[in-house]
Amino acid sequence: MVDQEEAHTEGAATAAPSVTHSGLDLIGLTKVFPGGTAAVADVNLHVDHGEYVVLLGPSGCGKTTTLRMIGGHEYPTEGDIVLDGQSLVDLPPHKRPTTTVFQHFALFPHRTSLQNVEFGLKMHGVGKEERRKLALEALDMVGLAGYKDRKPGALSGGQQQRVALARVLVTKPKALLLDEPLGDLDRLLQLRMRVELRNLQRELGLMFIHVTHNQEEALSMADRIVVMNEARIQQVADPLTVATKPATEIVARFMGDNNIIRGKVVEREGDRLVVEDDEHIRASVIAPNARHAVGDPAMVSVRAAAVTVDETGSAPGTLNSAECEIVFVEFLGDLVKLHLMTGGERMLAKVNAQEYPSLRGREGERIRISWKEEDGQLLDA
Amino acid sequence: MASSSTPDAARNRPTRLALGEVEEAEGILRQQLPEATGGAREGGRKGGWGTAALAAPGMLWIGFYLVAPLVIIILVSFWTWTDAGFDRSWTLANYSELFHDSAYWHNMLSTLVTSLIAVVACLILGFPVAYFLALKVQSLRLQVGLFVIALAPFWTSFLTRAIAWTFPLMGREGALNQILIKLHVISEPIQAFGFSTLSVRLAMIQLYILFMITPLFFTLAQVDRSALESSRDLGANWWGSFREVILPQTMPGIVIGSIFIFVLTMGDYGTVATVGGGNITSVGTLINSKIGAVQYPQGAASAVLLVILLMGAVWVITRFSNLREDL
Repeated sequence: MVDQEEAHTEGAATAAPSVTHSGLDLIGLTKVFPGGTAAVADVNLHVDHGEYVVLLGPSGCGKTTTLRMIGGHEYPTEGDIVLDGQSLVDLPPHKRPTTTVFQHFALFPHRTSLQNVEFGLKMHGVGKEERRKLALEALDMVGLAGYKDRKPGALSGGQQQRVALARVLVTKPKALLLDEPLGDLDRLLQLRMRVELRNLQRELGLMFIHVTHNQEEALSMADRIVVMNEARIQQVADPLTVATKPATEIVARFMGDNNIIRGKVVEREGDRLVVEDDEHIRASVIAPNARHAVGDPAMVSVRAAAVTVDETGSAPGTLNSAECEIVFVEFLGDLVKLHLMTGGERMLAKVNAQEYPSLRGREGERIRISWKEEDGQLLDA
Repeated sequence: MASSSTPDAARNRPTRLALGEVEEAEGILRQQLPEATGGAREGGRKGGWGTAALAAPGMLWIGFYLVAPLVIIILVSFWTWTDAGFDRSWTLANYSELFHDSAYWHNMLSTLVTSLIAVVACLILGFPVAYFLALKVQSLRLQVGLFVIALAPFWTSFLTRAIAWTFPLMGREGALNQILIKLHVISEPIQAFGFSTLSVRLAMIQLYILFMITPLFFTLAQVDRSALESSRDLGANWWGSFREVILPQTMPGIVIGSIFIFVLTMGDYGTVATVGGGNITSVGTLINSKIGAVQYPQGAASAVLLVILLMGAVWVITRFSNLREDL
């Protein structure tokens, strides 16, 4: 299940949709709400069984609408949703082999946890004995067998979340859809549930499609991340690629802690480009597919974590370096975030926590930063 | 719905969430709780006297105008009837007389039937209206607007509406008979529409239905939409969602509406008197006629029996829902 990570790394967003007979395909999926706003525009995506895909983006980017269309809670204006060769578009939610963990768990308040878990089986006509047995197994799976007679109101947030999980897993869906499943939990619980949820998914070998606006959550859980913005897919890639090689400016900004150098191409030598901005910061970047010519506007992003601080300093005008003023030294426990200013541009550098004693209290001083050419990433506009 | 992709490994040994770390986190979070709730409880106790002071005028009002008369009625029902009213010698005669009065029990039975019909009819007719208003009308503004329109009959006086029911609407020459004759459904006006038990029962449904629609509307409006969606998602059709999700959450509204209508119709006197045109009797009109005939102790005894019956009925109705927990 894990080795599938290699299979789809990048570029799936732009690839033409090919309907295979296994897995889920979204083909030209579009949703226009009354009033003409497109919530989802031409989304194409293939998800394999056993894959953990996270739809990531700011609120209103169309990720939840996409999930709701897969689950049957919204009808697409255009496009198709195909699961294992069967189109789901005309099926109501209760006839789809998908189930959803809703944002606020959506448990039935008047039913005990056991009755909540039994519900799906009851609706599918499973006999009383059998469904009780399966429901107890599912509750045991999430560690709540001892809470079977409690109503949701008498359970903690984390326990409610696990009941919601048992309730959908017991119906053996082909795809599990999770809408901000960790959003209602305390941060500490969130961090730990991430790992457990991901482990559970690996053991079950089920397709999980998870919606979140939390970058860290997406990076830590996904096989593949689908970054969305304003109804469209910005990038589809594994977490490492999204974190280190954002495809577009929007992805670079949304993922955070990226320095964006916006300027013009001043040199081009084969695949190697040099971009210079108004502050005369010059960044070189290797971009095999770039169509930029000298003089074209271009953007290069550099992760804050790839930036190093040079006390000794290199000469001004050197490639991939800049002289900055320290605006704020932010200590984050295991690292230090330097908020810097170079001319009119803000820049960020993340360095090891052990550098903190030597950086503390140096706001206002000037410092030189630099980065390696391979850490530069040419962005699409 | 069996997943074809479940690997054999997962089938052979039970899959479980590894909860050690999760439970530890829950434990850490729980430790902060006692402090927080302790503080709130103390604050609540301090506020207790202030709340009691605010409630005092209302409690005095209820004590003076509701409890005191009830106590007086109970006392009077045990006193002896005289031509001038009653004297204060204790007797059970008023009750034994009532127990042997078949006309009284006949009356009680027909009033009970009327009330039950009203409760059931209001529920059946009112539920779809409340359901539509609360769950199908999407815009809040339209929802409130339609609800206010539904309340419109209550802007006119009760008596006006009750009188409008008699000659203009249900009478021999009334609109209903006219329409049915025009439509050739009947050739002769139907007498039973006016001043009859039927017309009293029909009028009661119309007059009291809003006491059912209102609590139903408010409980239906609170039904968790995402729970409704998740029931559909888990394989429930409309009826399954209705029975398993909507109905349990609406029970408090059904119970409150039923209590309202049962109590109001059992004690109703005005509707029966006007719409029934004096031909129809109920427990209410009977008590009224006893009081009119200066038979205060007998009237009081009838009233006490009615109160006991109502309390019993309300108790039975509340068994259908744990109001304290569900509301």
